Amino acid sequence: MLSKSAARTFFLVGTGLCATAFILLTLDTISRVPKQSHEENLTPAVHRGKDLWDSNNCMGCHTLLGEGAYYAPELTRVYDRRGPEFISAMLRDPAAMYPGQRQMTKYGFNEAQIADLVAFFQWIGNIDLNGFPPSPVLASSAAPPIAGAAGGPPDDGRPRVFGQICVACHTVAGRGGNVGPVLDGVGDRRDAAYLNRWLHDPGAVKRGALMPKLPLTEAQIAELITYLSTLRARQVTP
Amino acid sequence: MKYNSQRVAWWFFATCMLLFSLQIIYGFIMAFAHVGLDGLHPWIPFNAARATHTNLLVVWLLAGFMGAAYFIIPEESQRELEWPRLAYVQLAALVIVGVTAIIGFHLNWWEGRKFLEIPRPLDFLVVIDVLLFIANIGMTLWKSERKTTTALVLFFGLLMAALLYLPGMIPTANQTMDSYWRWWVVHLWVEGVWELIMGAILSYLLIKLTGVDREIIEKWLYVIVGLTFLSGILGTGHHYYFIGTPRYWLMIGGTFSALEPLAFLGMAWYGISMAKRGGRAHPNRTALSWTVGCSVLSFVGAGFLGFAHTIPQVNLWTHGTLITAMHGHMAFWGAYGMIVLAVISYTLPLLTGRRLYDAPSATFAFWASNIGMISMTLAFAVAGVTQVVLERRVGMEFLQVQTEIQVHFWGLILAASLFTLGITAFIWNFIQHGKPVGELDTSRDAVEPAVASAPVVAAPSGAE
Repeated sequence: MLSKSAARTFFLVGTGLCATAFILLTLDTISRVPKQSHEENLTPAVHRGKDLWDSNNCMGCHTLLGEGAYYAPELTRVYDRRGPEFISAMLRDPAAMYPGQRQMTKYGFNEAQIADLVAFFQWIGNIDLNGFPPSPVLASSAAPPIAGAAGGPPDDGRPRVFGQICVACHTVAGRGGNVGPVLDGVGDRRDAAYLNRWLHDPGAVKRGALMPKLPLTEAQIAELITYLSTLRARQVTP
Repeated sequence: MKYNSQRVAWWFFATCMLLFSLQIIYGFIMAFAHVGLDGLHPWIPFNAARATHTNLLVVWLLAGFMGAAYFIIPEESQRELEWPRLAYVQLAALVIVGVTAIIGFHLNWWEGRKFLEIPRPLDFLVVIDVLLFIANIGMTLWKSERKTTTALVLFFGLLMAALLYLPGMIPTANQTMDSYWRWWVVHLWVEGVWELIMGAILSYLLIKLTGVDREIIEKWLYVIVGLTFLSGILGTGHHYYFIGTPRYWLMIGGTFSALEPLAFLGMAWYGISMAKRGGRAHPNRTALSWTVGCSVLSFVGAGFLGFAHTIPQVNLWTHGTLITAMHGHMAFWGAYGMIVLAVISYTLPLLTGRRLYDAPSATFAFWASNIGMISMTLAFAVAGVTQVVLERRVGMEFLQVQTEIQVHFWGLILAASLFTLGITAFIWNFIQHGKPVGELDTSRDAVEPAVASAPVVAAPSGAE
């Protein structure tokens, strides 16, 4: 039967070996992380963005690299998923972007700070995370494919900006957010002139409209009008 | 209670009760926010509630460990605390730092790093405070001729906990390394040295409550803490799968963290078999319930539920979802919450001289809080699995998924209400015991047989 001194030896030797291995692996990790995380792109703006991220405890609601709280979206790939315009608009006034939804604090960042945070998200988005976050494997069986989250070419002719910004609130062909109305068949309901006015300033078309005035360029608006006009009820998206 | 200075433990335990109540209130604020009732948002945004909830947990558990140490160390080393007054000063300092941090959270003053939100200047105060505590129990132990394994394991667990707080302060601009060092603190605490503390307290309680020979219990204590470190140190790798660290962590973390349940399984087997062997001789059966319950639920929560999502292939999908909250709640409750409540249940009659362990409130507290916590874990599990499937596997929008799983948060609130009733009963029982005015008992604990290696304080046998 095991004696007390044998048990103590097991404890001391086991702990010693594991601790040594852990310290050696840590040294190796320290030497490899700069390459894997592309530290060469870690500009002062990224650093300032991280400081803002920390000093406002963004992790208290969001997750980043899968770490944080589970009250607000995972932001590791947000730069690709939503694009800098959306992120900036969100940081300027969260309530305007998601009216009546789960609330985010309006921090009152200035434009320089917003640019820093965007730079931070862009840098985070390029870290090699050993395959995280995985792409949704069941997406194709549930509904027609959507614009690739990684920014790949959209399959149904939708502009990139639609896949980044509009889907946050609107659904097309069963995919997208549920904050705003479904856009299937919007091409039947609205003509190009109306869409044009609406996209420039929703509040000017309909008083009290929930949709915010988005930071869209003229080229993006033109793209969106063309795309939205093709969304007709009788046309079945493949 | 044999030594006057042990009384300070009561004040630490009273602090536990206060902070624990506050922690539960903040838990409810978050649960209601999850179902859309976030009317407190302008004053207590979710991130403030969350930081308060987790930091209160850490502070009340630390206060509980300190209280336990102030009770156990004098008894084990058979002398008064070295500096009894310092213990009170140190408690006051801990409370002041904790309260300042929590007020700071509500004013957007924090470090914003999960579990280590306490602002940097306060970090230093925490370290100083813990070092004072370590010095106090360290000197008490050092000057004693009787250094038991239980006391030494407890002391080194607490010392390592203090030292491992330091890597969390290593400055870095790289988020990956920031995370890397953060887990040195958080993981090596909860899946490393805290288990040492827990194991030592468990041993102490089993020695006192079951009457099994100290040599046998302490031998298995070595085996269990050996298993803990064998799996737990390299098991830190399960936090290094997807944060930008090398790929070999998937294999190392996966292998070693799969072994982590062994330590907890050992703990569960340890609690149950020692309790059986001892024939449950001690009249304080409530304390024994908490002790054995702790060893079992720590296996379910920390061991089994941790194992459930520690395999890299599974964690790829569950990383950063409510599955973590499921595991976290029962792990902290089973392993650390319950050990503190166990030591409180055992020491309270000795500290206050009133034996209320047979009171209905004591039994109700045990069952209501445990059934409540198990139900909470189930609610988190259903919400978490649904989130994983809809958000990660199907690719639905985050907010849409949150609407889908809202109903499970009503379930959570219901379960948490039962849990709260249980804890309320526990606190009621605590208050009923009154202040620490119990008389000193100069006899040896009636249940513990004499240990050959230890000098026995000769005294006529009296009350336990």
